[in-house]
Amino acid sequence: MNDRTPVAPPALDVRDVTVRFAGLTALDGVSFTAAPGSLHALIGPNGAGKSTCFNVLSGLCRPDAGTVTLGDTELTRLAPHRIAALGVARTFQNIVTTQGTVADNLMLGRHAKSRAGYAASALRLPSAVREQRAHLARAREIAELTGLGHHFDSPVGLLSYGDRKRVELARALCLEPRVLLLDEPVAGMNAAERARTADVVRELRAELGLTIVLVEHDMGLVMRLADDVTVLDFGRTIAHGTPDEVRQDPEVLRAYLGTGTQEEEAA
Amino acid sequence: MSDRLPGALTRRPARILLLAVALCLPPFYLDAFWLRIGLFSMAAAIGAVGLSLLSGTAGQLSLGHAFFLAVGAYGYAYLAGEPGPGLPPVIAAVLAVLLAGAAGGLFSPVAGRVKGIYLGIATLALVFLGHHVLLTADSVTGGFNGRSVPPLELGGFAFAASDPELVVLGVPFGAEERLWFLGLALFAFTWFTAGGLLRGRPGRALAALRDSETAAAVMGVDVARHRSAAFVVSSMYAGLAGVLLALAFRRVVPDYFSLALSIDYLAMIVIGGLGSVAGATAGAVFVTALPLLMTRYADQLPLVAAPGSTEGAVGPTEAARYLYGAAIVLVLLYAPDGLHGLARRVREHLRRRRPRTPATDPVPPPPQPAAAARPKEHTP
Repeated sequence: MNDRTPVAPPALDVRDVTVRFAGLTALDGVSFTAAPGSLHALIGPNGAGKSTCFNVLSGLCRPDAGTVTLGDTELTRLAPHRIAALGVARTFQNIVTTQGTVADNLMLGRHAKSRAGYAASALRLPSAVREQRAHLARAREIAELTGLGHHFDSPVGLLSYGDRKRVELARALCLEPRVLLLDEPVAGMNAAERARTADVVRELRAELGLTIVLVEHDMGLVMRLADDVTVLDFGRTIAHGTPDEVRQDPEVLRAYLGTGTQEEEAA
Repeated sequence: MSDRLPGALTRRPARILLLAVALCLPPFYLDAFWLRIGLFSMAAAIGAVGLSLLSGTAGQLSLGHAFFLAVGAYGYAYLAGEPGPGLPPVIAAVLAVLLAGAAGGLFSPVAGRVKGIYLGIATLALVFLGHHVLLTADSVTGGFNGRSVPPLELGGFAFAASDPELVVLGVPFGAEERLWFLGLALFAFTWFTAGGLLRGRPGRALAALRDSETAAAVMGVDVARHRSAAFVVSSMYAGLAGVLLALAFRRVVPDYFSLALSIDYLAMIVIGGLGSVAGATAGAVFVTALPLLMTRYADQLPLVAAPGSTEGAVGPTEAARYLYGAAIVLVLLYAPDGLHGLARRVREHLRRRRPRTPATDPVPPPPQPAAAARPKEHTP
């Protein structure tokens, strides 16, 4: 089941993306490029448009202007399942798992990778049975990789919060993604769980060479893991650079800590 | 969905074999009345499994199930009969099922887009439309009086009272006995295929759609395609049930395929437990057999009038409806996951009690919703 592509993943390029909800401009001409194999962090205060940006990237939200391209493919007009089939996987800020066991959830992640249709599954054709068995084995591998091995057959509803977060991560990995979008992967976790998840993310990069886009509020984690950081505030890019550059950017400090100017109050 | 894939397989063949043998016995011991109850239950179970796939697994409500049952039943009666093309009955039966699927497919622009309860309202139109067509298209449907259904024939063997005469182990095999085995075969086919669907890739996609459309789409599930497909598959099971019903009734009439029938099927899957094949079957047997049994034993039941009498008491069919109405209320209150969930909890409860001696073996807490942890006695 080793269908991972050995070549470097394509770059994810976001150009001038604008999203408006009625009167509110959630994203205003946002641009950034996640270089192949890099970890690109997207940070900003609450309501800055990070999750909207993820929704655009995964096809859940159509931008009013701008484009998203993965290598040579434009993602902007594609339906979510087509984007997933291109190898873009994501996790959600608030856990979105389905009922059933960890195995069921991970096998959902294998959906785009498998072919068995209604007729083949209904008649339990050997091809469908074989395919299912192979994908189950790969799902188990991924569960081991993310530290869920011993929970593989447990109902998701019985797992701890941290473990459920990890189920989402594992499910996204089951897509064998080339680009992984992580929406606050450690939010609500305790220190030990955070460290563990950070390790998993680091291992993933090292082993699979994924391009990762990370939205996270835990600055320590961002600064340790990220190669590049884009800072959003009220839907606009206010800074861009390496973690160290961003950390000293006056605009960023203002957005995070506030300076008490009228502009701030007006907003 | 939560069934383990391999593990349980070791003991299962033995249990399935035992069940199959037990199900083959009734024609040798029971009279036609009981066989007919069984036959109707099997047909209903096939239809209920189809609806369970749509409503329980994919989370789509359908009030149009009666329409697809009618397409199957009338499709067979027309294709195999006179007036009509007079096709060989087996081919007519297969075509009738495909016809039901095609009818579901025609509805897929709606079924693929409309969600949950809104689809229920949309499919409501189908029932009234279908009923109207059945009443007015006389040349095909026979109008108000319906039309008779030609018996199924398979390589010179007719599923009818004679032709050829058949005596097995001293029991004369009439139409009911023969149809019993046909029904059993179709029912087994339904279990086999529905199980494969539920545990396979399509079933997981549909369950994901039900639990979170967003997560499903992001994981690569084509939402509209799978919604339509679930509707088509459910229609085909309804068509198959319709064919078997037609064969069992030997005559199809429009009034049978009314909205009440659609509601009956919903009652079956709610009582049985949404999304489970075994639950749908149990619900189907309950809802189908109850009115027939009450009609038969009306004279011995309190508060129930014999059929045909105008004593002012409740007729057996209405009484049965009251009873399963009550059953639905009880199920919703005390066992929201239906008879299937109830059976599972009782099983777990027993399993937890038994291994008290091996103290070293800690029993893992069984997965059960906290609100419905205590097992309940069976619903009436």
